[in-house]
Amino acid sequence: MELRAYIVRRLLLIIPVLFGVTLLIFGLLQLFSPVERAALYVTDPKQFANIAEVIEKYGLDQPVWVQYGHWITEIFQGNLGWSKVVSQPVTSAMLNFLPATLELAIFATPLIIFGGIFLGSKAAAHKDKAIDHATRLGAIVGWSLPTFWLGLMLLMVFYGLFSGLFPPERLSTEMNIVVHSEAFTQYTKLHIIDAILNGNGRVLLDSLRHLVLPVITLTVVNLAFIMRLMRSSMLEALGKGYILTARAKGLDENTVVSKHARRNALIPVLTVSGYIFAGLVNGVVITETIFNYKGLGWWAWQSAVNLDISGVLGFALFNGVLFVFTNLVVDLLYARIDPRVRLGGKVT
Amino acid sequence: MNELLIIRNLTVKFYTYDGVVQALDNLDLDIKQEETFGLVGETGCGKTLTALSILRLISPPGRIESGSICFNIDDGDEPIDLLAIGEEEIRAIRGSKISMIFQEPSSALNPVYTIGDQVSEVILLHRRQELVNKAIETITALLAGRNSLVNILANPMRLAERSLYQKIAQNPHSLWPRIVGRIPIMRRLLQRLKDEAKKMAISMLKEVEIPDSERVAQQYPHQLSGGMEQRAVIAMALACSPSFLIADEPTTSLDVTIQDQILELLRRLKSERESSVLYITHDLGVAAQICDRIGVMYAGSLCEIARVDDLYANPLHPYTKALLAAVPKPGEEPHAIGGTVPDPLNLPSGCRFHPRCSRAIGMCREHVPPMHELASGHFIACHNYQGETGGSSC
Ligand SMILES: Nc1ncnc2c1ncn2[C@@H]1O[C@H](COP(=O)(O)OP(=O)(O)OP(=O)(O)O)[C@@H](O)[C@H]1O
Ligand code: SF4
Ligand SMILES: [Mg+2]
Repeated sequence: MELRAYIVRRLLLIIPVLFGVTLLIFGLLQLFSPVERAALYVTDPKQFANIAEVIEKYGLDQPVWVQYGHWITEIFQGNLGWSKVVSQPVTSAMLNFLPATLELAIFATPLIIFGGIFLGSKAAAHKDKAIDHATRLGAIVGWSLPTFWLGLMLLMVFYGLFSGLFPPERLSTEMNIVVHSEAFTQYTKLHIIDAILNGNGRVLLDSLRHLVLPVITLTVVNLAFIMRLMRSSMLEALGKGYILTARAKGLDENTVVSKHARRNALIPVLTVSGYIFAGLVNGVVITETIFNYKGLGWWAWQSAVNLDISGVLGFALFNGVLFVFTNLVVDLLYARIDPRVRLGGKVT
Repeated sequence: MNELLIIRNLTVKFYTYDGVVQALDNLDLDIKQEETFGLVGETGCGKTLTALSILRLISPPGRIESGSICFNIDDGDEPIDLLAIGEEEIRAIRGSKISMIFQEPSSALNPVYTIGDQVSEVILLHRRQELVNKAIETITALLAGRNSLVNILANPMRLAERSLYQKIAQNPHSLWPRIVGRIPIMRRLLQRLKDEAKKMAISMLKEVEIPDSERVAQQYPHQLSGGMEQRAVIAMALACSPSFLIADEPTTSLDVTIQDQILELLRRLKSERESSVLYITHDLGVAAQICDRIGVMYAGSLCEIARVDDLYANPLHPYTKALLAAVPKPGEEPHAIGGTVPDPLNLPSGCRFHPRCSRAIGMCREHVPPMHELASGHFIACHNYQGETGGSSC
C-alpha cells in the first residue's frame, strides 16, 4: 500500500521535472536570433527566400512565453524541426536511428549490469582470493582501455585477421537489401526481432554477427565500472552488523551473501546502472562511429559537427526526457528494494 | 554444578599490515550451567572477540591460533570442541544452541527485511521439524473440516501438501523441499512452513514484551525505537531456546530507563529458560545487577574471576581494584586508572598490566602470572596480590 502511494507521488513529480527540461532546452533555443531559429523549420534551401513567412508562421518574433507555447505545441504534435544532416524531420530521424541504438543497448545492458553485479559480488565474497585478483585486474584493464582503441583492435582481429568474421555496420549489403525488400516486414526496425517475426534466420544471424563487436566494446568498458562499484558496495555491506547477526543465526555463507548482503549492496549500484542504461540508449558516439553503426549517437555527432541546430536540440530533448524516465524507474526500484525509501525514514 | 562451556588456552591473532596483534592470549574461562557470567574490562581488551570465538565468527585478518572451547550440548553427552568441528556442525549450533545479542540493535537488524521475516528466518532454519509437524496438524484439521464447497475444492491440494510434509517429517534431509522450492508454482506448498514460522515469531515477539507484536512483525527496523529493536534482536536470539546466550553490551546504546527494562527482561527470560548467559559489559554497576560470577579481563586475558559479591567486597587483583576505584560513586572522586591501555601491536612483556601497576615487582616484567585459586571460587592471576590488605584475603 505504501508502495502505491510512493509511486503516485513519484509520478506526479515527473510533471514539473519534464516542464523544467523543456524550459531549459527552450532557453537554449532563445540564444539564437529569430532567423536562426526559423532555420529549425526550414526543410528546403528555397524557403530561405521567404524566411519572414516561417518566422510569422511559428511566431518567432513574439514574446517569449507565446513562443514557448507555440514550440511546446509543435513538440506535442511531434514536430521537433528539420534535421538537415539527414534531410528528414527530427522526429523521424530519431525513430529511424533509435532502433539501431536500442539493439545495442538491449544486448549490452544486461551483460554489463548482471555481469558486473555477479562478478562484483563474487569478488567481494572471495576478497583477496584468486577470483578477486583476476576480476580486479580485468576491471583495471577494461576500464583503462580507450573505447576507440579497443574497438579498432577488435575490428582488426575479427574483421581483418579472421576475414570478416564479425563485420562493422548493422547488416551486410545483401541482408540490407533483404530487410528493405517487400517480402520483409519491418515491424519494429529492431532487426533481430523483425527477423524472428519474419522467420528469417539469415537476417537474424547476420545482424547478430554485426552486433558482436560493438556489444563487446561497450560491455568491457562499462562492466568494469559496475563490477568495481558492486565489489566495494558489497564489501561495505559484508562489514555491517546485520551480516554478523546473519552468520550468528547459523545461515550458510551463500545465504548470508545473496540474501542479506546483496540486496543492501545493490542500492548504490542501481543508480549507476540506470545512468549506464540511459547512456547506452542515447547513443554511444565513439562505438557507433568506429563500427560505422548508424544509431542515435552517430546522428547526434553528425548534427553537432554540421551545426544542425534542430538535430542537436531534438537530441537534447530526447536525452532529458530519457534521463527523467530512467530516474523514475531507478527510484521505483529503490523503493522496491529499500523500505526506508518507500516508507520514509533515515537512510544510513 | 556442571560446566556448560570450558575455554582453554584460547589465542586469537590478527595479522594486520602493521604487524601481528595478539588479541586473546591463552585465555581460560569456564561457564557453568544456568549461570550468568559477566565479562568486564576496558575497551579493546578482547571481550567481543572472546564471544565471537565461541561462535567461530572471527573473520580475517583475525584467526583463532590455538585452544579449545568445549561445549556441553546436552547433559550426559560428551562435550564437543567447538573449534574442532566442521563448518556445517558449527552452523547447526549457531542460533540454536548458542546465540548472540549485539551491542547496536540498529545495525544488528537488516534494514531491508521486516522484523517478522528476520525472526522467522532463524526458526525456519533450526526448528524445521517442529514446523513440519505443526503444518501437518493444521492441514489435518482443515481436512477434517465441514464438507463445504471450498473444502471439497481445496482438499486434493491439501492432501498433496500433507504428503509432502510427511515426506519431510520422515526424512529431514529429504530433497523434496529443495526440489519443490525451485519450482515456482510448487513453492506455494512450502508457504505453510513460513506461515507457521511467522506465528512462532510473533509469539516470540510477545514473549520479549513487544506490544502489538502482529503489527511490529510487519514493520522494518527503522520504524522501531532502539529499545524495541533490541527486544526484536533478543527475540531472534532466543527463538530456538539456546542453552547458552551471549549478550555483548546489549544495553550500552540505550537510554538508562530502557536499559533497566532490557536487563529485567533478560533476567526473566534467562531464569525461565534455564540457560546460561555470558554478559559482556564495561559497566561494573550493570554487571553487579545481573551476574552471578564476573571475570575481569585485561589485554586479552583474564586477571580475576570471582562471585559477584566476593569481587566487589574483596577485589584482589590490582587491576580490578583500579577498575572499581574508577567507578564514579556519589560524594567521591573517581580515580582514573593511571597510564594508558597498552598498544595491542606491542604488548608489555610478563604481566600485561605491569607498566600501569602500582604493585609491580621485578618478576612481573618477565613472567606472565598464572591463574590460581585463592579462595574457593576466587581466581586471580597476579604475582603480588598480597600486602595491601596484609594478605588477609587468602
Ligand atoms: N580487524 C582487526 N584488526 C586488528 N586488530 C583487531 C581487529 N579487530 C579486533 N582487533 C583487536 O582485538 C582487540 C579486542 O577487540 P574487542 O572488540 O574484543 O574489544 P572489546 O573488549 O569488545 O572492546 P569494546 O568494549 O570496545 O567493545 C582490539 O583491541 C584490537 O586490538
Ligand atoms: S602481576 Fe605484577 S604487575 Fe601484574 S598485576 Fe600483579 S602485581 Fe601488578
Ligand atoms: Mg566489544
